Amino acid sequence: MRTLQSDGSNRKTIFIVSLIFMGLAHLTILKQYVKGALFALLEIVMIILSPKIFQLIQKMITLGEPQPNLPIFEKDNSMFMLIDGILIVAVLCIFVSLYFISVRSALSTYKDYCATGKLPESKNFFSEFGSKAFPIAGLSPLVILILFFVVVPLVFSASVAFTNYSAPGHIPPNNTVDWVGFDNFKFLFGGNATWTGALGRVAAWTIAWATAATVTCYAGGMIMAVVMHESKIKIAPFFRAIFILPYAVPAVVSMLVWQNLLNGSFGTINRTLIELGLMTQATTIPWLSNATLAKFTVVLINLWAGFPYFMLLTMGSMTAISKETFEAARIDGASRSQVFRAITLPSVLYQTMPLIIMSFTHNINNFGAIFFLTGGNPMVSDSTTTSAKGTDIMVTWIYNLTINLQKYNYAAVLAVCIFVVLAPFAIFNFRRTKSYKEGEL
Amino acid sequence: MNMNSDQSPINDINDLNQADNLQNGGAAVGQEAGNLDDQISKISVKKTEDTDENINKDRIYEKQNNNKSLKYQNALQRAKNRTYKTFVLVFLVLVSLVVLYPLVYAVSAAFSPGRSISAMSIVPFGSGVTTSHFQRLFKETNYIRWFRNTLMIATATSVSTILVCSLSAYVFSRFRFLFKKTMMLALLVLQIFPSFIGMIAIYVILLRIKGLDTLWGMVLIYLAGNIPYNTWLVKSYIDAIPRAYDEAAKIDGASNARTFFSVILPQASPIITFLAIVSFTGPWMEFIFAKLILRSNENQTLALGLFSFVTDRKNEFTMFCAGALIVAIPFIIFFLITQKMLVSSLAGAGVKE
Repeated sequence: MRTLQSDGSNRKTIFIVSLIFMGLAHLTILKQYVKGALFALLEIVMIILSPKIFQLIQKMITLGEPQPNLPIFEKDNSMFMLIDGILIVAVLCIFVSLYFISVRSALSTYKDYCATGKLPESKNFFSEFGSKAFPIAGLSPLVILILFFVVVPLVFSASVAFTNYSAPGHIPPNNTVDWVGFDNFKFLFGGNATWTGALGRVAAWTIAWATAATVTCYAGGMIMAVVMHESKIKIAPFFRAIFILPYAVPAVVSMLVWQNLLNGSFGTINRTLIELGLMTQATTIPWLSNATLAKFTVVLINLWAGFPYFMLLTMGSMTAISKETFEAARIDGASRSQVFRAITLPSVLYQTMPLIIMSFTHNINNFGAIFFLTGGNPMVSDSTTTSAKGTDIMVTWIYNLTINLQKYNYAAVLAVCIFVVLAPFAIFNFRRTKSYKEGEL
Repeated sequence: MNMNSDQSPINDINDLNQADNLQNGGAAVGQEAGNLDDQISKISVKKTEDTDENINKDRIYEKQNNNKSLKYQNALQRAKNRTYKTFVLVFLVLVSLVVLYPLVYAVSAAFSPGRSISAMSIVPFGSGVTTSHFQRLFKETNYIRWFRNTLMIATATSVSTILVCSLSAYVFSRFRFLFKKTMMLALLVLQIFPSFIGMIAIYVILLRIKGLDTLWGMVLIYLAGNIPYNTWLVKSYIDAIPRAYDEAAKIDGASNARTFFSVILPQASPIITFLAIVSFTGPWMEFIFAKLILRSNENQTLALGLFSFVTDRKNEFTMFCAGALIVAIPFIIFFLITQKMLVSSLAGAGVKE
């Protein structure tokens, strides 16, 4: 082994050596034996496992062959193959990242050597592990959990969109599943009139619902906060405690209570209206059983459940506006409505903007508000075929498709659609964050 | 309109404000009992001439006393102000009634005899009071078991969420490393998905690691679902803690782990408390995954158990309300006590501007 030059001339050698075999540069040139050995061990393990890995990936590509003569337990299970394949790809991704890190580590060690003329001693490895490797150790639980319980399931779900995994003909373990390319997308986007119609209807309602739910809750919460703030009523804290209740009660409970209260035939609200003589048994209001009215009811009940959050939020933001601003406006003789329009509203809006966007994305996925209040009901003309009912939004439809119809492929297509629509919002919020703006990331 | 000008203490501050406004406008105040807002906006058009004096309310009071026509005006304004206040009060009471109606009704259902809502009186507590549902809950159902299971899941989820999220947030906030930006963006994009979109895969993965029908399997799912959003939340908070604190600890020879546990965690305790509450309350009423994963009788959670009372086959709304009440009351007390903290945490929640 040649002696190591400290003028940077060995950079290329180290780069190539570390690229040839993981940890090789650490072991041979840089004399970091523990670190190098760990890296090398990792690559050796991967090489030993490589036939198995190759086999699993191949299985993911073929998704198994139909084996009608074998008993069920020995048949190829396409779904297990797909998930195993995705898991292996995830492991490979980690391995490639670690490879990348090992090369970077070799180069940076050499860079230190060029600067100081000394190689770090191998026995310092463990103390170094406590400091330099702290980020890796600290993030590993997050990375592992996210990878296996969030990323892999989502990638799986996205992959299913390109297969024919659906009842009745393609449900493992009895049958295998095949890749079908964009067939599902074509089917849902124009290929079949009933399904395309249902998709258009549900998508439009989802957007309308999310907008209406966000706007009503935001406006409602802000009105309550401003009224209580401006009126200077002494018992305002008492009212605030009352208004906070819908937020404190678990949504599932309150939605189920509302469902019973609003029931068309035996619900308390209709019975009360009858008792009051406002209507008769024959003209009861179909709160949740008329498709159009049910949509309004859902938004209204969601306002009941959702305004406290925004009320608290607005109160928090309003206390952040400096008292001097209000004072100055008052001295200039601004009226209450002027103060609200020119000071309170803009500053609260500005502060809560990211949260409005988040609330919008949350409402697009607001499973509980729909599922526990109406269950998606009432039925409409195409409901028997598509399982999309009158008040179903995208996520509840996905749930119906998965649980009731077992049309996993269409459910996956819908999930991909949600991703395409919502990802820009998330990225928009990301670019607004302080740390992003300050170039820290 | 009530023209009497008896001064209740509540009105005092507002009266002063009105006087303030009047003073600004001087003679421009309209004589008729027109719209309050109209008048004040008319006033506001005129430039203030004696700004300095206006700030001092005592002096305004003196001036006002010297001015007889203003005295009449003041009484008028006060009366209007009282109408305004009455209007606000009526409004708040009406909203409170709407907010309370379903809750009061649910509480009354928990104590009402009978099973379904159709038999109940339309007046809360109108059909008598009984505690039989609570007795049945504890004697005839597995309520205590459900409660214990849920409590275990919730506690484990809360503790593990705090550990993983705060540690990751600390690393994201204080260290520079490869793929940091990618990972942060990935977390933000991932948090927009409800976890049940990947439920088939989660089911199979739990099957592989023998986590089906176990409580720890549920904890893993909830924990993983909590991580993306909450890591961001805590990271934003830790970003605001001055780095001087950790540097001081480092100079004193503290390791990264020690700095984290004895410097950062105590500093971040408000957001950690918030995280503890949110992640503890979440699992209590989660339904989808519990139904998917927990099959055996002894592993049921509260959400599943309570739901079994109001399925399509039987409608025991009163039992449901009784069971829900026991869970909801601690929640409500908790929220009422912590509402101040909640306000500040919510305002700073998520992606901070």
